[in-house]
Amino acid sequence: MHVKQILSRGPQVEKKPLIELVNVTKTYDEENVVNDLSLTIYENEFITLLGPSGCGKTTTLRMIAGFIQPDEGKIIINGKIFNDLPPYARPIHTVFQRYALFPHLNVLENVAFGLRNRSYESLEKFFGRDVLIEEAKKVSMDKEPSKHLVNKIINRKIEAMAKEALALVKLTGFENRKTDMLSGGQQQRVALARALVDKPQILLLDEPLAALDLKLRQAMQYELKEMQKKLGITFVFVTHDQEEAMTMSDRIVVMKDGVIQQEGSPKSIYNEPVNRYVANFIGETNIIPGIYVKKDLVHFLGTDFPCTGYTFANKEKVDVVIRPEDWDVVPLDKAKVVGEVTFSLFKGVHNEYDVKVKNTTLLVHTYESYEVGQPIGLTIDPYEIHMMKVETDEQVI
Amino acid sequence: MNKSFRILATPYQIWLMLLVFVPLLAMIIISFTNLTSEVPLNEVSFTLANFLILGETSTLVAFKNSLVYASLSTIICFVLGYFIAYKIKTSRFNNKFIVLTIVILPMWSNLILRAEALMNVMSENNIIKSLIGFSILGNTAGTGFAVLFGLVFTYMPFMILPIYTTLEKIDPALEEAALDLGLTPFKKFWKVVFPLSFRGVVSGSIMVFLPTLAGFAIPKIISRGQIIFIGNIIDTKFMYTSYDQGALLAVLILVFILGSILLLTRFDKEGETLL
Repeated sequence: MHVKQILSRGPQVEKKPLIELVNVTKTYDEENVVNDLSLTIYENEFITLLGPSGCGKTTTLRMIAGFIQPDEGKIIINGKIFNDLPPYARPIHTVFQRYALFPHLNVLENVAFGLRNRSYESLEKFFGRDVLIEEAKKVSMDKEPSKHLVNKIINRKIEAMAKEALALVKLTGFENRKTDMLSGGQQQRVALARALVDKPQILLLDEPLAALDLKLRQAMQYELKEMQKKLGITFVFVTHDQEEAMTMSDRIVVMKDGVIQQEGSPKSIYNEPVNRYVANFIGETNIIPGIYVKKDLVHFLGTDFPCTGYTFANKEKVDVVIRPEDWDVVPLDKAKVVGEVTFSLFKGVHNEYDVKVKNTTLLVHTYESYEVGQPIGLTIDPYEIHMMKVETDEQVI
Repeated sequence: MNKSFRILATPYQIWLMLLVFVPLLAMIIISFTNLTSEVPLNEVSFTLANFLILGETSTLVAFKNSLVYASLSTIICFVLGYFIAYKIKTSRFNNKFIVLTIVILPMWSNLILRAEALMNVMSENNIIKSLIGFSILGNTAGTGFAVLFGLVFTYMPFMILPIYTTLEKIDPALEEAALDLGLTPFKKFWKVVFPLSFRGVVSGSIMVFLPTLAGFAIPKIISRGQIIFIGNIIDTKFMYTSYDQGALLAVLILVFILGSILLLTRFDKEGETLL
């Protein structure tokens, strides 16, 4: 893929902002957990906050949900400042990390819980007064249906919605089960159904897949993505798993120490990390010190490589980022650099090699097989070479 | 492993058999006999005559007193105790252990001593009056209020602790989930917190209801003999060696206790709220 193609994808301007975080800061014990964070989340978007534990992603999510208030800055939803609005007044539902299902209720009661505990007035508004009266008239045959009858119809509608939500998460037939009689995956689905039942504008997901095993987690990733597309609800997903983020998100926000490091599409973050931290966090990578010789020429591993799409000052030091699968393994006479295989690992689809070139060890993924000790020829296409500014004070993770 | 546990449990099992099970059985049997100190042992025989005392006014009044005072103190302990337990649980106080210790602190002094002290405070001339010149509780000893006050004062910790235990066990995420799903804090309490702490309420209620129902020391001391509980009658019967009638009344209380324990097991199968 070409860098230029990726760049031209950019953020689409016609999108409507739904959640805006403006210079949000949250401090615990004099430590900024979230530090002057600004982020706009658009309608109908699957956005992932990605980072290691303690990077402030969950705190950010909890501020959107309303469980904690920011010390500084504004949280704007639908153009209104939401800072001091309690969680129950926000058009937002959360899927909690350990699901938080109510143990004293069965599956259907759990899913219907939010709707059943709404006030009569808000339910009347939710279902539409006219619709309710209409339906009630059909049953009662008289002119002014009693409140009792309308209530009955509301309850029937709530139950129908809960069943629909359970069907959405493929749990039809589990209505009367106790929640502790469900597997982790099933509990997860109940939690999802409970949060989606009244079609909130925004769904927050706090590492909801962390407790599932690998197979189930992968299956749920696709299902979540499908659901989000189908329902048109904005999903804000929090995870520390970069693969999960890659698979599902429209946009990824990489965080560290309460600060956004980079935001962009999974592709752009993977291919063009802005710094070492992001490059290392998002998948395996080679970061090689180099010198930007002049336009479209970069020097590293003792050789000049043609490159494209980056502009630095001539002779500026840069960090070259090359993903292990972007190396081309070629016969020795066609190689730009020749190295020696020092470690090999069969990974099923591909082979993973450590290749020693001069004093640098490179990570290379290829389909070809080599033995440890064999020489290997490597080259790379200009558009696969990515470069970052050298950050002097950055610690290597 | 299992075997050594079984061996270690044996002494207690024997103790339980000899000092609990056998006497209980003896008590049930005696309640169907005419055993008193006036009857020679070789003339003891089975009879249902003891059951006549169940119809006597004194017994009925004592039973009524026991039930009314036990129920009232359970309800008062529940209302106040739940409030206190909830307050401790939701407080931001770091060392909740200290608060709980203060709650159970009175239990470390002798029950009789506490009842006597309370009686003194409730008498006409009491220590508080001598110290500061007046006393709110002064001159109430002997009244129903005083007995109720004494019972609530004594058994409150037994209500607070199991409720606090169940409240503390509620996953905070559940409360957040309720708020998240649109419940106001008030509704959240009634739909999530209270149902989930109900086991503690049942445990606490039984732990207050049973000792107040069967007890005799507090009413005897604080009411100065004015208000008779069933426990006082049993006490008197044994004192005057009417073992047969005393045993029958004791069996009756036993039935109440067993009923309560059955009720408890319905709500708290693992018994985790019991201390």
